[in-house]
Amino acid sequence: MKKNQQRDLFPGALEMMILRTLKRQPLHGYALVQHIKRSSNDLLLIEEGSLYPALQRLLKEDLLKAAWAVSSTNRRVRIYTLTPAGAKHLQQEVSRFEKMLEGITRVLAPGAS
Amino acid sequence: MSWLKQLFSRRRIYNDLSEEIRSHLDEKIEELVATGISRKEATAAARREFGNLNLVQEDSRQVWRWPSLENFLMDVRYGVRMVRKNPAFTAVAVLTLALGISVNATMFSLVSAFVLTRPPGREPDRVAVITSINPAPAFLADANPVSVPNYLAWREANDVFADMAAADEYRTASLAPQSLPSVASPSAAALQPEALPSAAVSPNYFAVLGVSPQLGRTFSDGENQSGRDHVVILSHELWERRFGSNASVIGSIIRVNRENDTVIGVMPARFRLLGFTPQLWTPLVLAAAEQTPAARMDRSLYLFARLKSGVTIEQAHAEFVTLARRSGENFPTTDKGWGAAVRTLPDFLLYNFSIGNAIAVLMTTVGFVLMIACANVAGLLLARAAGRRKELAIRVTLGAGRLRIVRQLLTEGLLIALLGGAMGLLLAYWGINFVRASLTFNDAISAVPLSLDWNVFFFALGVSLLCAVLCGLVPALHASRTDVNTNLKDQGRAASPSRSLSRLRTVMVTAEIAMALFLLVGTGLLFRGIFLIEHQQLGFQAAHLLTAGATLDSARYKDALEQTSFVRNLLSRLSQIPGAESVAIASDLPATGPAAVTLQIKGQPELPANQRLTALDVLVSDDYFRVAGIPLLRGRTFAPTDTATAPRVVVVNQEFVHRHFEDQEPLGKQIRLDVGVASPEWNEIVGVVGNVKTHSEGTADDPEVYEPFLQRPSPSFSLMLRANSDPNTLAPALREAVAHLDAELPLARVMSMPALIDRQRNGDPFFVRVLGSFAILALILASIGIYGLVAYSVGQRTHEIGIRMALGAKSPDVLRMILREGLKMTAIGSVIGLALALPLPKLFDAMFYGLQLSEPRLYFILPLAILVVAMLATYIPARRAMRIDPLAALRHE
Repeated sequence: MKKNQQRDLFPGALEMMILRTLKRQPLHGYALVQHIKRSSNDLLLIEEGSLYPALQRLLKEDLLKAAWAVSSTNRRVRIYTLTPAGAKHLQQEVSRFEKMLEGITRVLAPGAS
Repeated sequence: MSWLKQLFSRRRIYNDLSEEIRSHLDEKIEELVATGISRKEATAAARREFGNLNLVQEDSRQVWRWPSLENFLMDVRYGVRMVRKNPAFTAVAVLTLALGISVNATMFSLVSAFVLTRPPGREPDRVAVITSINPAPAFLADANPVSVPNYLAWREANDVFADMAAADEYRTASLAPQSLPSVASPSAAALQPEALPSAAVSPNYFAVLGVSPQLGRTFSDGENQSGRDHVVILSHELWERRFGSNASVIGSIIRVNRENDTVIGVMPARFRLLGFTPQLWTPLVLAAAEQTPAARMDRSLYLFARLKSGVTIEQAHAEFVTLARRSGENFPTTDKGWGAAVRTLPDFLLYNFSIGNAIAVLMTTVGFVLMIACANVAGLLLARAAGRRKELAIRVTLGAGRLRIVRQLLTEGLLIALLGGAMGLLLAYWGINFVRASLTFNDAISAVPLSLDWNVFFFALGVSLLCAVLCGLVPALHASRTDVNTNLKDQGRAASPSRSLSRLRTVMVTAEIAMALFLLVGTGLLFRGIFLIEHQQLGFQAAHLLTAGATLDSARYKDALEQTSFVRNLLSRLSQIPGAESVAIASDLPATGPAAVTLQIKGQPELPANQRLTALDVLVSDDYFRVAGIPLLRGRTFAPTDTATAPRVVVVNQEFVHRHFEDQEPLGKQIRLDVGVASPEWNEIVGVVGNVKTHSEGTADDPEVYEPFLQRPSPSFSLMLRANSDPNTLAPALREAVAHLDAELPLARVMSMPALIDRQRNGDPFFVRVLGSFAILALILASIGIYGLVAYSVGQRTHEIGIRMALGAKSPDVLRMILREGLKMTAIGSVIGLALALPLPKLFDAMFYGLQLSEPRLYFILPLAILVVAMLATYIPARRAMRIDPLAALRHE
């Protein structure tokens, strides 16, 4: 279970996706995981529960803040919002990820070199 | 302070988290239900998609924690619960470890007091002690004191020491009865003359050691000149005992050795060198006359020197090897072959006190006891871990990592070990008090304070941690190799416990038996040695003898004539004491290790210095042999007519005849003894007497020669008085008789001969008894180990035995089967233990001077004893196995 997740995502990927999603709009946990699953066309196998330790890590590092509110379906939920520090962190992570991706792509590209 | 805020807001964070996750699941379920499936299915699907709920919560909480610390605390909490849930198990494990740890801590207090305690003074490691090396084999031959001429020569010639002091540590001073005007009420002891151990030291002695007095001053330059030397420094103990800790004692006059000496200082209580117990210090006066050959043979000085900065002890040693060789070249008759040894002060004191071997043996023994205790507790934990396989399997299924399980089990081991350690310290506190109360057989030993100090505390803590690892690791690693599937399916119906587990326990119990037998053989040998010595024929009749020591000082007894006249008067006065059958004096009491001299037999070629014949040399009054009860074998003993003017005669013992005359007729032969006079005379052998042991605490018979006291009086001698009843009742009369002749002459160690012999054993019997009790403890622990293992395996095999019996096995068959299991372990363990113990007699011979240790019967008796004990420990559970009712056993579970 835990092993699967580690195989499918590299460390920090889930955090990056959370930050990216929350940058668009604040969301609560359930909505967040549904959104990530949907936007990845269900290609990523994410256990819903694995979201929460990641959220706690981000909270602890002050990249997110959370507040209780009432949702549109009249449910008491905890809404997560990106902090300025979170926005900055996301930017750094994305650019680092892009560099990495570029590198990997070049290596994998057929016929190159 | 964010971590502080976190700490306090953590409960809220956890509550938020739980609520959030609950809400997440609810929302999911609602959504799924909306798609049309049943609520039950929806709940299951939601859970499945969510993953391991507990693990998610645990991991999320983990973010806010100091994981290692909090996991540890949780393990501890869990461990405490386990420990409290199984009080019987805990009690047995804790008590076993407590016993092991307490004997270790108790014995370690000896290490702490004797080995780890630093000598007093500034930088004791920079102080060197120089001793001579005796080329002849002797006890502590390489820690022999140095002669005065060598001291003076070496002090001038060396380049390695900043300053060198000399001390004659084993002098006796007489302190006259007196009451100081400054001291209000003199104690009872102050009213009798006292013989005190004292040291004569060069004025720089205290400066070299780097110690300062508590009161007053130490010696100054020039106070080692004759005439200016009437100054004395008191030990703290003497100052307390005789002078009521009165500070005004400084500057007052006390009578020491019949002289009026000024007290100039008092040393602090902590100034104490291991093995040396002087009560007062006087200046060491070295006359120029002491440069004679006789002075070269009189080796009585320990040299203490401070290394120059930058010089190592090895360099100092090399230098003194050269200096000693030069002395040997320059003075071949006296110094040939003699070397020099240089040690640091701490090393020297420990070596000279030679308690190292005894401590090493004790620590090894308690180390074995500890290992046996650990093996037992490890066995218990293993057995329990086996019983907990299912619990652990469940925990693994629920997401506990392997490491976490190992840590959990180790924590439980740690808890038990720490409880054992705490209890062990408590027991050690009593143990140390007991040992301290028992270690009173000589002044040097009782001067060393044993206590439960920090060293002992940390040692016990360290040992507890070691136990925790030893006891916890094996079961923990074993249990962590849990195969979830088998263990969950296994309903405890397995016919027998896991094979590797019981094999491991069997190995441990076998090792316990081996160790216990090894210890039993070791202590058995020592016991036998002590027993032989306690029951040996000493060669004289010790019972009913009262003894005392006296030293005639040169201040009042200037020459041999005055000494002999005092001795004559003393003997006639003592013989009039009612109840005294006969009296004698001797330079050394029988079996108290008299000094040896070299000698020459007339008509035989003169041998080189280090190959000359030797014999113990004792000066005795004419009645000595009758008083001591030493049988005359041939010729005659001494008569009152063997005076200084009569022809010189000697009596020798049988061993002398055997070794030096090859059992030929010795009577009438002439021998010459090198007794430190310029031209020794020839003495005629007039009698042969029976052997007397050289030391009452050893078994050696050495050649011995007796000279008539009147022909060569010695200022220092012992009195011997044969009583017709309890000798101790004559002690007051003895003191009175001496006081009548000389009120200022102190008597040393007034005691009966048996008491003196007891004292000479130096605690050997105590030492061996302590060892013996450890060996018995080891045996008890090992048999508990056997019992525990067999009882456990019988419990596990109830089902199997039930089947066997249902299939027709009879009770005796079952009994035999179980007994065989115990017998096998015992037999293998015994063989290993015996093999280990084989070299022990040789080892002990090298370690314990004079003990004759070889007793083949022990190698037969002890394994038999172990076998009996082991069979008993096996029989109890085996009988239970025999009574198993097959029906009940099969229904059982």
